[in-house]
Amino acid sequence: MRTTFFLAALCAAAVAFAQAPKGSIAGAVTNPNGSQAIGVTVNAKLAGSTATAKATTAAGGKYTLADLAPGSWDISVNVAALRGFEQKNVTVEAGKATALNIHLEEGTQMSTLGEDTLAAMAHAKRHNAPTGPTPRTAEGKPDFSGVWWQPVVTDPGKPEWLPKAIEIARERTENNRKDSPQAHCLPSAIVRARPLHQFVQSKDFLVEMFDDDSPGFHQIYLDGRKHPKEPDYLWYGDSLGHWEGDTLVIDRVNFEEAVWLDQDSHPHSDKLHIIERYRRPDMGHLEQEVTVEDPGVLAKPWTFKRVAELGPAETIREFMCTENNRDLVHMVGK
Amino acid sequence: MSIRQHYFALAVVALGLSIAAPVSAHHSFAAEYDSKKPVTLSGTVTKMEWTNPHARFYVDVKDANGAVTNWELELGSPNGLMRLGWTRNSLKAGDSITVEGYLAKDGSKLANARSVVMGDGKKVFAGSSSEEGSK
Repeated sequence: MRTTFFLAALCAAAVAFAQAPKGSIAGAVTNPNGSQAIGVTVNAKLAGSTATAKATTAAGGKYTLADLAPGSWDISVNVAALRGFEQKNVTVEAGKATALNIHLEEGTQMSTLGEDTLAAMAHAKRHNAPTGPTPRTAEGKPDFSGVWWQPVVTDPGKPEWLPKAIEIARERTENNRKDSPQAHCLPSAIVRARPLHQFVQSKDFLVEMFDDDSPGFHQIYLDGRKHPKEPDYLWYGDSLGHWEGDTLVIDRVNFEEAVWLDQDSHPHSDKLHIIERYRRPDMGHLEQEVTVEDPGVLAKPWTFKRVAELGPAETIREFMCTENNRDLVHMVGK
Repeated sequence: MSIRQHYFALAVVALGLSIAAPVSAHHSFAAEYDSKKPVTLSGTVTKMEWTNPHARFYVDVKDANGAVTNWELELGSPNGLMRLGWTRNSLKAGDSITVEGYLAKDGSKLANARSVVMGDGKKVFAGSSSEEGSK
């Protein structure tokens, strides 16, 4: 009897909550230059809940997130090539509209033509991943050959950086990354997702080629060789691949000290060990699961996942970084 | 859920997560340019350098007194621009243009190009060449 009464009370409470008056959040979104940002998605998540909402800005850059349960909502806006906007704990009250205007700020590209939001949108329009079964080699293994668009992170994982790594990353960031190897036409960060890259695969060898970074290729050996006992320290690490069923497992060690680990400017130690698992579940997609082990900078292994789409109409070009690198003399730190 | 639906759903979610990875980032523009100092320049193109890691062009800008200053403007990489349909001939010496950008932090006559508009109103290097630039 008591149980029945309790359940009935719970149901009544749930119904009452569902029927409680809702509130809303509304405002306008502006671009870095102050112009209206039209067609931008504003995301909302109720704190401590899985409830989400989204709205798209229309004329005047205006949006309304309607029918929101009263409470604290986290608001975010992400536009390619601009700095992500986030505001937590926006209060929604029953029957009221909370005003929230959002001003987007420049990201790392500072809207430079060819690398700005318009370019990102134009690139996205060229994506047209073909359908079809996984292409296979003569040995029956998945063939990763093809030109692939920049992979999209599907699971960023939860890296737990050690204090020393955080400090170094902060110093590098405060100095505007002016000392990054990439700015000096040396290889970019190890786990950076390349804008466009090509794989050419044979039985014993997989080579990754790209045209926005030096030297433009990365070799992965599939012939069963072992990591050398007396290693040479390499900017891309010594990369060896072996098959586990239809998954190519790539083992990378012996990294050059000067290379940066990620785009957040974290360093690595001499204990860095990266394991990549590549799968091509169908013609148009290349899945990567990357595990970064480095007890010198991470409290525990960090695993993230990303997926690249095939770009069959694209071509990798030539990239001579040092031919006219005029930026170095103008770059300033903090 | 079919594979295609699965990846579409992932893409919808992942677009929000991918923003940390810019289209291309040879160097941090914040190291070189000041987002608090926008500048607009009008003048005549004197040279286009279609080179890596960043294409750049030069503009003679005349001030009110008639004195001419040659400015350097930086674009994205030629490979990225070519994928969008632009070429080394999209801008030529002699073209009259108005360019908007952010000033170099070190005080030199240098800015990154955020917008390039020809005398006839045509936008260059914006989005895809086939779309004739942005709205």
